[in-house]
Amino acid sequence: MKNKYLFGGIIIVVFIGLMGYLVTQSSIKYENNINKIKTENKTVKATGQWVREKDYNYDLKSRMFTFYMKDEQGNQMKVVYNGAIPNNFKSAQSLVVSGKYQNGYFKANSILTKCPSKYEGQKIQSSGI
Amino acid sequence: MKPYALFKKDYHSELRTRYAINSLVMFIIVALSVILFSIGNEKIPQNLTAGLLWVVIFFSAMSGLSRAFVSEEERGTSLILHLIAAPTTIFSGKLLFNLILVFLMNIIITILYSVLFEEFIIRNFLLFFLTFILSNIGLAIASTIIAAIISKAGAKGTLYPVLSFPILLPLILISVMLTSYSMVGTSFADAVIELAVLACYDVIMLTISYMLFDFIWKD
Repeated sequence: MKNKYLFGGIIIVVFIGLMGYLVTQSSIKYENNINKIKTENKTVKATGQWVREKDYNYDLKSRMFTFYMKDEQGNQMKVVYNGAIPNNFKSAQSLVVSGKYQNGYFKANSILTKCPSKYEGQKIQSSGI
Repeated sequence: MKPYALFKKDYHSELRTRYAINSLVMFIIVALSVILFSIGNEKIPQNLTAGLLWVVIFFSAMSGLSRAFVSEEERGTSLILHLIAAPTTIFSGKLLFNLILVFLMNIIITILYSVLFEEFIIRNFLLFFLTFILSNIGLAIASTIIAAIISKAGAKGTLYPVLSFPILLPLILISVMLTSYSMVGTSFADAVIELAVLACYDVIMLTISYMLFDFIWKD
């Protein structure tokens, strides 16, 4: 009878450990190298900036929002997002798009915009005492 | 007494009263038609469709599956079960019955859902099939052990969904995720981790249930 609880306890501990390990594996990783995104073909959260020189495009009929994104090294990729343009897309300092690179473009499921905060503390004037 | 004999007894008494089957079918029809009326002609996004499917499944399970032990308690037959069979056998029999009930319920829900909602298109069928089987097994195990826990309590109807929610939460979260994956058409390799988590959940629930049922039942 005691063996049953020992055995069961071991099974539970092992599988909870396995579950915890798998949960940490499944979280989508951030990636800021666009060349890597293009080759690896995995679902990632790509960070980068909107290429202002190439204009964005919003197709009203298919509700497709297309723009170009670049990383710090200057590599570029086309991003396609099925949905509305995020509110402060134009003023965003950097973007986080999650999705997958396929068929020559990055298909985004969501776009996060990082904006210049209006709550940044103003520089306190030193009174020079 | 074998688990199968207990299952047969439950099966016959269920066919006579049709309590669980009726409440399940009624709930499925009501829930689906409410969703259908409220959506109307609007197109809803895919992840919302997957979520709504699991809302229907969760609450249907809550309405029917608690019968497994509550019915024994209400008819006063639990003492006889104590006498004629070991706790493990009783749990296996009840689990078998709930498994059949859950599979029946979810097959009906999925078929109705895919007929009624045109947005509900499965692109990766194998992934959906595996998700369906693993999550149904998990749902059956969890609902059986919770039914055993609440069968001795006073307010059974309210206690059941309240107690089930935290235990079923991981299952439902992963199942919603996997369902929307299979609707989008994610490749099998991308979703294998979530499937493994689901399988782990099933194994853990099964082990815990068999370990704890002795204490619940002897009370």
